[in-house]
Amino acid sequence: MALVVRGRVVPLSTDPTLSPEPMAAFRGRVWIGDDGVVAAVTRGNRRGPADLADATQVDVGDDLVIPGLVDLHNHLAYDTLPLWVEPRQQVPFLHHNSWPRAASYSSSVTWPAYAFITAAPEELLAYVETKAIVGGTTSIQGSPPKNRPRDGWIVRNVEDETFGSGNANLVYASTLTLKPTVLADRANKMRAGSTFIYHCAEGQPGSVVAQEFRDAADAGCLQPHFVAVHCCAADAQAWDRWRAAGGAGAVVWSPFSNLWLYGRTTDVPAALATGIDVCLGSDWAPSGTKHVLGELKVARILADANGWEIADADLVQAVTSRAGDVLQRGWDRQVGRLQPGAIGDLVVVAASRRANPARTVVRATERDVRLVVVDGQARYGEGALMAAAGVNATTTLEVAGETRHLALHRPGDPSAVWEWDEVVQRLEEVRRDPKGQIEGGLARLAAWAGPLDSPEAPLRLALDMPTGLGPVGGLPKDLTRIAIPPLETLAHDDAWLASLHGRGFHADVLDGLAGYYS
Amino acid sequence: MTVAQDDWEAVVARRGITLTEALSARPGGVAQPTPALDGGQRLQVVDTLATLLGGAYCHLVQKRAGYALDPVQALALLRRRCASMTDSEFHLAVTGLVTSLRDAHTRYAGPSHLHRFVAALPFLVEQCGPASDPRLLVTKVVDDPELVGDDQFVQGVRLEWWNGVPATRALDIYADHETGGRPDSRRARALESFTFRSLAYGPPPDEHWVHIGYSTPEGQEHEVRMDWRVIAPETARTAVRPESRAGLRVGADLAAQSVRRAKTLLFAPRVWSAERAGRPGAAVAEGSDWLATDLPDVLAARPLAGGRWGYLRIWSFDVEDDDAFVAEVARLLTALPPLGVVVDVRGNPGGLIWAAERILQLFTDGEIHPTRFSLLASPLTRAMAASPFNRFELDAWASSLEDAVVTGEPYAQPLPLTDPAWCNDREHDLYAGPALLVVDSTTYSSGDLLAAGWADHDVGPIVCVGEATGAGGANVWTDVQLRDALVATPYAFPPLPAGAGLSMSVRRAVRSGPSDGVPIEDLGVSGMPYTMTADDLLHGNHDLLSFCARTLDQLAPDRR
Repeated sequence: MALVVRGRVVPLSTDPTLSPEPMAAFRGRVWIGDDGVVAAVTRGNRRGPADLADATQVDVGDDLVIPGLVDLHNHLAYDTLPLWVEPRQQVPFLHHNSWPRAASYSSSVTWPAYAFITAAPEELLAYVETKAIVGGTTSIQGSPPKNRPRDGWIVRNVEDETFGSGNANLVYASTLTLKPTVLADRANKMRAGSTFIYHCAEGQPGSVVAQEFRDAADAGCLQPHFVAVHCCAADAQAWDRWRAAGGAGAVVWSPFSNLWLYGRTTDVPAALATGIDVCLGSDWAPSGTKHVLGELKVARILADANGWEIADADLVQAVTSRAGDVLQRGWDRQVGRLQPGAIGDLVVVAASRRANPARTVVRATERDVRLVVVDGQARYGEGALMAAAGVNATTTLEVAGETRHLALHRPGDPSAVWEWDEVVQRLEEVRRDPKGQIEGGLARLAAWAGPLDSPEAPLRLALDMPTGLGPVGGLPKDLTRIAIPPLETLAHDDAWLASLHGRGFHADVLDGLAGYYS
Repeated sequence: MTVAQDDWEAVVARRGITLTEALSARPGGVAQPTPALDGGQRLQVVDTLATLLGGAYCHLVQKRAGYALDPVQALALLRRRCASMTDSEFHLAVTGLVTSLRDAHTRYAGPSHLHRFVAALPFLVEQCGPASDPRLLVTKVVDDPELVGDDQFVQGVRLEWWNGVPATRALDIYADHETGGRPDSRRARALESFTFRSLAYGPPPDEHWVHIGYSTPEGQEHEVRMDWRVIAPETARTAVRPESRAGLRVGADLAAQSVRRAKTLLFAPRVWSAERAGRPGAAVAEGSDWLATDLPDVLAARPLAGGRWGYLRIWSFDVEDDDAFVAEVARLLTALPPLGVVVDVRGNPGGLIWAAERILQLFTDGEIHPTRFSLLASPLTRAMAASPFNRFELDAWASSLEDAVVTGEPYAQPLPLTDPAWCNDREHDLYAGPALLVVDSTTYSSGDLLAAGWADHDVGPIVCVGEATGAGGANVWTDVQLRDALVATPYAFPPLPAGAGLSMSVRRAVRSGPSDGVPIEDLGVSGMPYTMTADDLLHGNHDLLSFCARTLDQLAPDRR
């Protein structure tokens, strides 16, 4: 169904007549065709494409219409969990191989996540993708490995997206450190057109993980299709090398997670000076914000605290146009910009008539996210806007004290609404009896006699992060020892904000986040 | 006989049907035709086997050396002609090729509707006397005259002829088609399955009935014809479930496991029924000196005559809940006389590795170091260990598999499958008296592990019927488990066609302690040799237990 959204459009377009400067806004309309692709962006009351003259129109008044947000670094399988700290850790962790060896890591992080991916994979993904869309996310990286393609996603999963081509190699990703030979192979894959998203040099400068950057560089990875996640251990020499290699590619900055674990973060000014794209990622729930809309605020706080000259507009671009351009190199499809030919992913953010668009987006909270459109379909938003967009088959949920509607469909049956309460109840069932539910999940998988990559096969997920120290086999001998904490809420609420103080290694810097939500 | 489909399983479970009926595919009959494979399906079987034997089979190096075999090359040759073979020729070729590895963990099962069944004759035959001059005695006969058809054919008769062939010669010929790394273990395994053929991992007997010549103790010679019958022994309620976490930690001869169940069904119907009905207490007859147990499928215990020694029989380690198993063994031990115990694992085909390794701590005050396992270092195992779907199961081996590319090591680092903490989490030396282990050439896999641990931790003497234990040193996976582990790797394979299946040794076991690093496969664990007597076979192991009692008595005081 075609859709037209009218409001204060911030298209972040490459067309200078629409976006003479990046955050230029104007009253106008975004026209999205039946194919989910932006057909036109028009100013004022100018006519759109003739074939969309009868399309459903949604008028959001003074609210901002911006491209859907892109979270380029996450680990979705873990996003039901609360923030994690190792009680015995007194100093910041050295690098990404340090904290998985902490005593409480497996039981706090790996085991609960394993319970959900095994017992209720569909419900888990519904929950964590909803958590993303609540913050205006329309594309997210870090979906757990799956045994088969999955229908019914809520937000676009970067690694899984094939745009109907069936080509599963548009994007390669690795959370774990790769050997030089594998990196060299990835370099060639990038030369052939794929994007490669790689966790790289996550830790303190001077630590052993700095070698990961050098290995990637030696392998030939410093190319336009390379997306390095973190790089907080990269030193001046590393950034110089990237600049010398042509300054192409991207870094994904996850300031909250970096501060929480290491007490320091990526040298963003140095990264920007190389010419590469700097994007944002919220990372996972055990050490990250709830979605990339929250991460924008952390980036603001940290830039200000460090005296970095990074404008709000830069930050908004980091989660829209810049991230979209990075993905476009591998996808050959544009997200993060509203312009003809781009994917019809957009967000409506509440704004007053003369509000500064960039500042408004950076300061926006979950309550300000009024409508989210993915592939030209209204997926989430206020009831009135969803209805205006012609989407009535929805379930409702409470977000930051407000009611929101979600177009959530049962796996395998796009015509049936999947009630949010049902999703939550199922996850709560797993919480109440992890052992029984894990065993039930394993039995369901074992009962499938057909090919495991068949679309009809039970969905099987894998964890993408280190499993940590544990008994042989990674799980406790007695599965009743698995305790799953309460489901983390969808929004940055008071309890979550209060949990920041005095925990992690951010030296109270992140306490300032509460100011955005008060 | 025409039986309604609804009654099929019940009929088969109680008395079974003849093999002829099971294999005939008459319209309206009970049987279904065995699916034939077309050329493409045969290629799929051959290619899958070649991939798995070449890349996942952990004993490949050893079998090549020990038997001068090259199964991968043999499969390459078979691939060239398999499409033009008859179906039976093809399955015979594949079965023969796999059996030639002499590894009871590694089996091929062609398409069949009979995988859950066992073909059985209504009696059990066992051997006594020296290997050079063995005697085959009928030690158990099904209590069902209609099936036996000869009231002279009773316990104690001597088996003389088998379809006109001298019985010992027939056994030798049959043993040549059995697994088993040593001649004695092959023969022992052949004897075990001589009248009980698991159809899960092997073809049905060629003959539908057998002409048996036997002699009575009085020297009279008789002959009787008996039909092979097909029965469904079912797995026990307490058995390991393949889909569970424990399912990947199994060390067992899966064919022998189903034969064991079939023997229980036919010769210990009280145990079979009680276990199946969930009333384990009913497995022990009133007035019996056997102790009641919650796990009658795998355990039995009683004081020995005189009340000085205890006897613990571990039929199998096929349990899902190793905690319950260890607790039950501990409970039985405390109920036995404290001065010494004979732990008998003869014929134990294995089961859950955790169960076997964890009970060692009940017999010694030393720290238990479990057996360690390694994967063959190959591109396939590297891909498998690197797959995100196998993080929990195989991550620990990933690094050494990568290193093997540089070091040339044929195997990954050996690591335990049973966490050392789990092997040392109970009251050590719970049984304070001396303990003696009895094994034989069909004590297999997890049974081998127990024997190895018994020897390597110096728990007590080992009495061995045959040269050594059955020598199955590996963790075994089925084709379904392998398929699951290879998801998202370049070695992923589809389900085998028409219900064909296989099992394979995937993680190779090496011993710990003074025998650190020594493999178990084809070597086994030896002990004090013992030759079974007729009295043993016909009178409750009388001589064997006397021998064990004398051995316990002769132990140094600090071992008593």
